[in-house]
Amino acid sequence: MSQSNVITITAEWKKPRPSIDHDNVEFWDGLKEHKFLIWKCKTCGTSYWPKAYCQNHDNEPFAANMDWVPAKGTGKIFAFNIHHTAFNPGFKEELPYYYALIELDEGPLVSSTLIGDKRPKNIYDIGQKVEVVYEDHPNEGFTIPKFRIID
Amino acid sequence: MPKHPSSGKYAIVGLGVVAGAQPDRSERMIAAEAARLAIEDAGLTRKDITGAVDLRRSGGGGDRASYSDAFTRVLGLNNNYYYINGRGGALAGLGMATAMSFIDRGISDYVCLMGAVTDWSQAQESKKKGYRGMAHSEKRGYWGKFVGDSVAVSHHSWMAARHMAVYGTTSEQLGAIAVSQRQWANLNPEAKMYGRPMTIEDHQNSPLLAEPYHILDMSLVSDGAVAFILTTAERAKDLKSKAVYVLGQGFGEVSSTVWWDKKNFTHMAVEPAKKQAFGQAGIELKDIDCVQFYDCFTAEVLFQIEDYGFCKKGEGGAFVAAGNMAPGGTIPINTSGGLLSCYHLGDLTGLAESVRQVRGQAGQRQIKDCEIVMTTGHGGELVSPGMCSIHTCTILGSQP
Repeated sequence: MSQSNVITITAEWKKPRPSIDHDNVEFWDGLKEHKFLIWKCKTCGTSYWPKAYCQNHDNEPFAANMDWVPAKGTGKIFAFNIHHTAFNPGFKEELPYYYALIELDEGPLVSSTLIGDKRPKNIYDIGQKVEVVYEDHPNEGFTIPKFRIID
Repeated sequence: MPKHPSSGKYAIVGLGVVAGAQPDRSERMIAAEAARLAIEDAGLTRKDITGAVDLRRSGGGGDRASYSDAFTRVLGLNNNYYYINGRGGALAGLGMATAMSFIDRGISDYVCLMGAVTDWSQAQESKKKGYRGMAHSEKRGYWGKFVGDSVAVSHHSWMAARHMAVYGTTSEQLGAIAVSQRQWANLNPEAKMYGRPMTIEDHQNSPLLAEPYHILDMSLVSDGAVAFILTTAERAKDLKSKAVYVLGQGFGEVSSTVWWDKKNFTHMAVEPAKKQAFGQAGIELKDIDCVQFYDCFTAEVLFQIEDYGFCKKGEGGAFVAAGNMAPGGTIPINTSGGLLSCYHLGDLTGLAESVRQVRGQAGQRQIKDCEIVMTTGHGGELVSPGMCSIHTCTILGSQP
């Protein structure tokens, strides 16, 4: 990658904290190691995010036939919106922000904000290739994944 | 087409509506008042009501399911059971389906179903603390608030954006939905936006909240309550009000078929719901005289117009821009003004209007010879990264 895909922010976190629970704690731990984990079926190779039972065949109890594996960290813009108002005051300084649904190369959709210099021209302008950027918040103990247009 | 044996077996016999801002009243008081009005409208008394259902959007908000403020105590009903039912905006449809089983087994003669909100009043309080709208903290299992996800506003604007990008739909075409519904609202004195006409230019000039959505693409934040009484068609005959018969109901979930293939960003789970409801009622699309589509945002109306087959997929924009859903159009849609211009009480907004249309009580906006109406609901928990799963379809009619 031409630019660093890690950003470190030490400022106090004034936004809602992520909900880290039994189903996604491994995913959030992976982000801290700068890996974007997806939930993959060992039988048929289909990838899911968030965690789910494989939809293609029978599963072992608690989807034990599946595992978290690193994704490539690339995908394309499936749809996006531009938030011009902050429903939570913690986002006022970022307005307007581009909030995108990213279709990962492995298939699942994941949402986050676009960072970097490039932005879609208008709401019809989708399909751009993106890569994940890891925003580390060492004082808070979590890493937020964001995306950057690379083509 | 032959009807299902259940079609026309149950009827709505009373309606109570409390509309408009209620800053000085509790949710349970407006709930009880709507129920009282419904009972009075049916020509019944409180002791006749043996079952009560509180219609709440428990799935999405989470916090609304559990706290104790049963309107039945406040009103003094002699109900044998009270339960909370609903999911997102799918309230009336689910509540009716469950209540009918109590009636069917002789547990209840008359069930009072009621939904109430004080969202507008709460939003005013929230505003004083620097928040806008219904700001909640991130719920367990949810994703995105930490990057500015605004739940329904964010997710539904993606759906509109996706439809625009895939089918070439324009913001002006979405605006035509808002304008059409505003025209209907201007025929409805109970509507919040009554007396406030709107043009496409007004829509285009209104603030962009989450582009492509302008504020005028979004539903209202309301106070109010709607209650209705459900009983058997047999009992309905002896009551003072005109019975509105339940001809069919159907349900679908996008999670069952279109979640992983990502179709749910331009479609609703209409297919199974339509098949069930139309099949029970023994009707076709052309038999429907007016429609109350769930309209949390403009594009949901567009999706449903296409998914029900009023036009082909992707052609909804041109269909609404030609005025087909507006007063005088080919199919009257959201004739009260809907969630966009009347008030937001989930699918109870549409249900109340459907009852009035069938009864011939819709005033200036009354559809001539209105015999069969369709009401839809939509909603549910927004599983990351964004999905309102359920779709409900209820067919009501003037004849059993």
